[in-house]
Amino acid sequence: MKRYGDIVAVNGVSFRVKYGEIFGFLGPNGAGKTTTIHILSTLLKPTAGRALVAGYDVVREAASVRRSIGIVFQDPSLDEGLTAYENLYIHGRVYGLRGSALRERIEEMLGFVELEEYRDRLVRTFSGGMRRRLELARALLHEPRVLFLDEPTLGLDPHARTRLWEYITRLRAEKGVTIFLTTHYMEEAEQLCDRIAIIDKGRIVATGSPDELKSMLGDEVVYMRVSDPGKACKALERLESVKECKVLQGGRVSIHVPSAAQTIPELLEAAKNSGVRVVEVSYRRPTLNDVFIHLTGRGIEEESVDETERIRIYARSYFRRKG
Amino acid sequence: MTPMGWLDAVYVMAYRQLKHFVRSPSRIIASIVNPLIWILFFGMGWASTFRFPGAKALFGGVDYLSFLIPGIIAMSVFTGSFLSGISILFDKQFGFLKEILVAPVPRVAAMTGRILGDSLTATIEAGIIAVIGLPLITRVSFLGILYALLYSYLAAIGFSALGIAIASRMRSYEGFQLIMSFLIMPLIFLSGAFYPIRYMPWWLKLLAYMDPLTYSVDATRYWLVGVAQINPWIDLGALLLLDAGLVIVAGYLFGKMSLE
Ligand SMILES: Nc1ncnc2c1ncn2[C@@H]1O[C@H](COP(=O)(O)OP(=O)(O)OP(=O)(O)O)[C@@H](O)[C@H]1O
Ligand SMILES: [Mg+2]
Repeated sequence: MKRYGDIVAVNGVSFRVKYGEIFGFLGPNGAGKTTTIHILSTLLKPTAGRALVAGYDVVREAASVRRSIGIVFQDPSLDEGLTAYENLYIHGRVYGLRGSALRERIEEMLGFVELEEYRDRLVRTFSGGMRRRLELARALLHEPRVLFLDEPTLGLDPHARTRLWEYITRLRAEKGVTIFLTTHYMEEAEQLCDRIAIIDKGRIVATGSPDELKSMLGDEVVYMRVSDPGKACKALERLESVKECKVLQGGRVSIHVPSAAQTIPELLEAAKNSGVRVVEVSYRRPTLNDVFIHLTGRGIEEESVDETERIRIYARSYFRRKG
Repeated sequence: MTPMGWLDAVYVMAYRQLKHFVRSPSRIIASIVNPLIWILFFGMGWASTFRFPGAKALFGGVDYLSFLIPGIIAMSVFTGSFLSGISILFDKQFGFLKEILVAPVPRVAAMTGRILGDSLTATIEAGIIAVIGLPLITRVSFLGILYALLYSYLAAIGFSALGIAIASRMRSYEGFQLIMSFLIMPLIFLSGAFYPIRYMPWWLKLLAYMDPLTYSVDATRYWLVGVAQINPWIDLGALLLLDAGLVIVAGYLFGKMSLE
């Protein structure tokens, strides 16, 4: 639990992250994502409650926690007056690396985030995407066991975003780092995370893999265009996995099933056996946004998100200009 | 954390301050031009006034410029190191501070490195001013300059620690103007950089002896032109005391600094 004066920022946040997993915190602005990350990274002391990171208590064994983690903050944290290389060099020395081992490690990380050519340029001249990549490289430089990413793709264009996603997935595949990330992008949570906790107003409202969360809503809906809708429905409703089959306009039927991916082959088989020709199949899965609406009665309102994001991006470029 | 890790953190934070220093020529130029303006306009103005017979006796036997220039050097060490201590607020604003706060090194180590680096840049600036002002000073020895710079370095440590201590308690630059008018200016005027302490009224004298800058001005003057109001050993003691006290206070306050 964390309280700022009268404001309770997070409360009743309880979860476990497995070794080597990518765990996501998904929630709207002000949900308490950053507060949670700051508590886990020892930057804030919890008002109450206990947290272990890499097996260490974040209050009593803060030094051990700090040695085990790497972090990319939500807001910029690079030294803009230094070059990419110098930023990494300083980080490395502070984390106890030195000499040729440090130099090699810096080269490796610059390579990993594809910034080799920009190594000697001042960070002040970097684009938002380049800065983000450099921050990722820096967070990984000392080979942390746990990596925290606070809204790693905030304010990036779609191209830069996909690129960062690639690095993150590669990380898990190649290094087995445990990753804790926060985001308010549904797509990001779905693409990257093994498991997700949905957080709203300082509380976790649900935890599970993206598929588990979505199946909380029950049905998935399969749409088929067939040669004979009436006959198709009659045949399909006899299947155990089909809850309901409705005839729609235009030769289409909608079929409610618990899991479309598992049932579609069965549906096709049954249709074929009853002599119905299937022209087209599609299905709609409930999105994480649907899950969020289901749990909180509201969507993660994209519009308000864009608004704060704009302000933030503005603030960044403002500081950059001043710097 | 091993002692080696401590040293690494101290070293690399000092390295960072020096990198920033060499990257900002405009800052270097400003920090040299400002004292030169004092020497040229303020100094030359009064120097031509204090030309009457017996005037030198007022300044311990040297002409006014020789009296003033060491004071200006000490003043520039003071403002340079104090303001770079305060500039930790920039790190807070631009976010780099988080990188330090989350690092596995003791904060004191990072802070010490920063102080040592800032003090070095302030001393380098003082050295440049000394070299430029040299032709205007009577009686100066090479060794004297070295000692003066050594004392300057000691003073700079205390003053940048003071800057960091104050910045650790500040949220933004709002209080900055206040500090300028309530701290920097009085400390400079009390220090005896512009006029001898000897002729001050007793209450002003009392304040002057409580001003740490006084000891730095006195020592610099002693080593550059051989005129002193205070024994240089006492100056040394006062500066060491200042360093120890302020580094401890700054270490404590900086250690307590959080994101809230
Ligand atoms: N320093 C602070 N003082 C007072 N309240 C704070 C402070 N920092 C955060 N809060 C409050 O705590 C709550 C959680 O904030 P937090 O920054 O953790 O949200 P978040 O999920 O990271 O949101 P965002 O998507 O905007 O980054 C918010 O209501 C916020 O106003
Ligand atoms: Mg946040």
